[in-house]
Amino acid sequence: MSKKKLLLVDDEEGIRRFLGLTLMDLGYDVETADNGESALKLIEKVNPAVILTDIKMPRMDGIELLKAVKADHPHIEVIMLTGHGDLDLAIESLKFEAADFITKPIDDEVLEISLSRVMEKIQLKDQVREYTENLERLVEEKTQRIVELERQNAAAQVVEGLSEVLSSAAHEVETGSGLFNELPCLVSIHNRYLEIVATNELLKERLGDVVGMNSFDIYSDRESAGNACPVQLTFKTGKGQRSKENFIGKDGEEIPVTVYTAPLPNKNGDIELVLDISVDMTELKRLNDELLETQYKFQRLFDEAPCYISVQNPDYTIAEVNRRFKEDFDEPIGAPCYASYKHRDKPCEKCPVQRTFNDGETHQTETVVTTRTGEQKNMLVWSAPIRNAYGEIKQVMEMSTDITEIRRLQDHLTSLGFMLGSMSHGVKGMLTALDGGIYRLESGLRKNDQERVGEATAALKNVVGRVKKMVLDILYYAKSREIEVESVPAGHFLQDTAALIVPKAAAANVKYNVDIPEDMGEIKIDPSSMSAAIVNFLENAVDACEPRLSSREYCINVTGRDLGDKIEITISDNGAGMDRETKEKIFTLFFSSKGRRGTGIGLFISNQTIEQHGGSIKVESKPREGTTFSILLPRKPEIKKQPKACPCT
Amino acid sequence: MPKKIMVVDDDPYIVDYLVNVFEDHGYLTCRASDGLSAYDVAMAENPDLITLDLEMPNEWGPRFYRRLTQEDQFAEIPVIVISGLPGIHMAIKRAVATIKKPFDPTEVIEIVRKALSETDED
Repeated sequence: MSKKKLLLVDDEEGIRRFLGLTLMDLGYDVETADNGESALKLIEKVNPAVILTDIKMPRMDGIELLKAVKADHPHIEVIMLTGHGDLDLAIESLKFEAADFITKPIDDEVLEISLSRVMEKIQLKDQVREYTENLERLVEEKTQRIVELERQNAAAQVVEGLSEVLSSAAHEVETGSGLFNELPCLVSIHNRYLEIVATNELLKERLGDVVGMNSFDIYSDRESAGNACPVQLTFKTGKGQRSKENFIGKDGEEIPVTVYTAPLPNKNGDIELVLDISVDMTELKRLNDELLETQYKFQRLFDEAPCYISVQNPDYTIAEVNRRFKEDFDEPIGAPCYASYKHRDKPCEKCPVQRTFNDGETHQTETVVTTRTGEQKNMLVWSAPIRNAYGEIKQVMEMSTDITEIRRLQDHLTSLGFMLGSMSHGVKGMLTALDGGIYRLESGLRKNDQERVGEATAALKNVVGRVKKMVLDILYYAKSREIEVESVPAGHFLQDTAALIVPKAAAANVKYNVDIPEDMGEIKIDPSSMSAAIVNFLENAVDACEPRLSSREYCINVTGRDLGDKIEITISDNGAGMDRETKEKIFTLFFSSKGRRGTGIGLFISNQTIEQHGGSIKVESKPREGTTFSILLPRKPEIKKQPKACPCT
Repeated sequence: MPKKIMVVDDDPYIVDYLVNVFEDHGYLTCRASDGLSAYDVAMAENPDLITLDLEMPNEWGPRFYRRLTQEDQFAEIPVIVISGLPGIHMAIKRAVATIKKPFDPTEVIEIVRKALSETDED
């Protein structure tokens, strides 16, 4: 430390000299001034560390000097020199931050102590200043330090969070719920003392309650330190392990597993726990088998479902079909559905599959399909979307159920219901006619009017005939019958059948010409039902000739022709004839052009019988000119399995 | 002078029946089997009352009735509907009565008698 500069201020020359020498002896560089004013001027020049000043001085006293120095140079320490009696002033000077005061006459020892005390103070002050000057740098240093600490803290928190997740995972293992227990894995957690802390349910099931046991206890042949188990290796190396091991099962059996271990470090980076996840290979195999079995089951279900199932692409092509579909339709895979399934050139209208592609909903439709054997089937078609993992519809499944039988039954039931309504009307008319006949019979008898009795009897006979026919028709319809074919000579059969109508034609005064060759070969038919069917046409022909126009001669021609593998029967009349609409509807159930005299069943049944025999009917008719029915019958019936219950639909 | 009743029904046996019933009670009758011929018959025979079936070939009863009542002399002619159809009571609004088949002849005569005596009072 360099010499300290000292400014001595006193108005007495002797004191300045004497004290100055003492101070120089003490090792100070001393300047002097004789009053406060000159002292202030010197301060700028010498920059003293300490000022020693008398209080009582002319011009500017010591107190004034003190105030001025402290105002402009606060770092300069001031020691007051006081005489006897101005102790009050000395004390006051302390208020103005004087460092000390020394009473006159000055004791060297006191002076030295005081000065060294002041110097000490200055030194401390210097240190403070130094500190202050370094503060900025310090703050910067500290800030960096804090940032670093924060970073470390954050990292610690991450580690902590991670271990928390892992420990909650471990907790789930313990509580037997959650993810770990849904895995086909044996999961255990081990602490650094190689103790099993927790296991999942599956492990407990397979190995028994091993919590608290040593980590290596669950492994087979892993007892010694030189043969460390994967858990121990993980603690040792700090790295996850993977190896094929054998666990010892509950009953002592060996369970082959693939072991994966993972270290779970704590905040400080030390490995606290090890997670051991082992895949049970036998379990894996069992699951695999189960999966295969399930797949097989679904495939079987898909194939054996009593429906046609197809999976279709957006461009109508078929991606996959079940066995039944393959059986009944040609080459479906890759072909458009409308071509393979519906035998069409263009997509169907309102295709349910396309609608499902558009809106993702299931759609339903009803349609008729023809199988490769030519069988027609009414199908109820359902479509359902098949979505990929992202929920996008990639394909649509179409499932068709055969509802032919249901439709047939439904038609039958509808017809029956319709029949009851329609019949009641016809029955009422016949009952009225019966009443009429009885009335006329009674009144004829009462009046002894033979003519009226005769007419009434004839009327009753006719009405009873109608009732009988209607009842038989209904019975026929109610009973769905299969035809029973036998071989008969066609010519004879037709002649006999035609002869049945002769009396009716005669009664109606209609000319009746029959032209049927004797020999037309054999034909296989159900004679009773075919005879009834033909009679129906013949009776209708007679009925068509009523009401009569007096100017006209009515006649019916019945001809039979041998066409080789078929025979043709033609029945023509020149009666009322039919308009087009009537003609189109005549084979419809319960359609009758005869008002209440017809049940609307007759021609329907005739048509059905002829269809059952594989035959066909052609009708030509003009109103007021007549009607011609041409019936073609094959020699051998091409029997259709189930005739449609109602051709009108 | 006895009143004349026209019976219109497509079933000749029912026509015979009604004609017998009416004649037995001293009425004159005429007959038709459908709406078309009934119009011609009515114009020719000028009946005082009509019994009319509803469902007939060629032209149904209601349509015939509308056509006939457009003729001045038949504008007010009483009509009795006799039909087996269900729900027929509104078929012809101005019908004197609607009788369902099968019917009771005495009931029919009762209605006819009443209807014809009312027209007398007019």
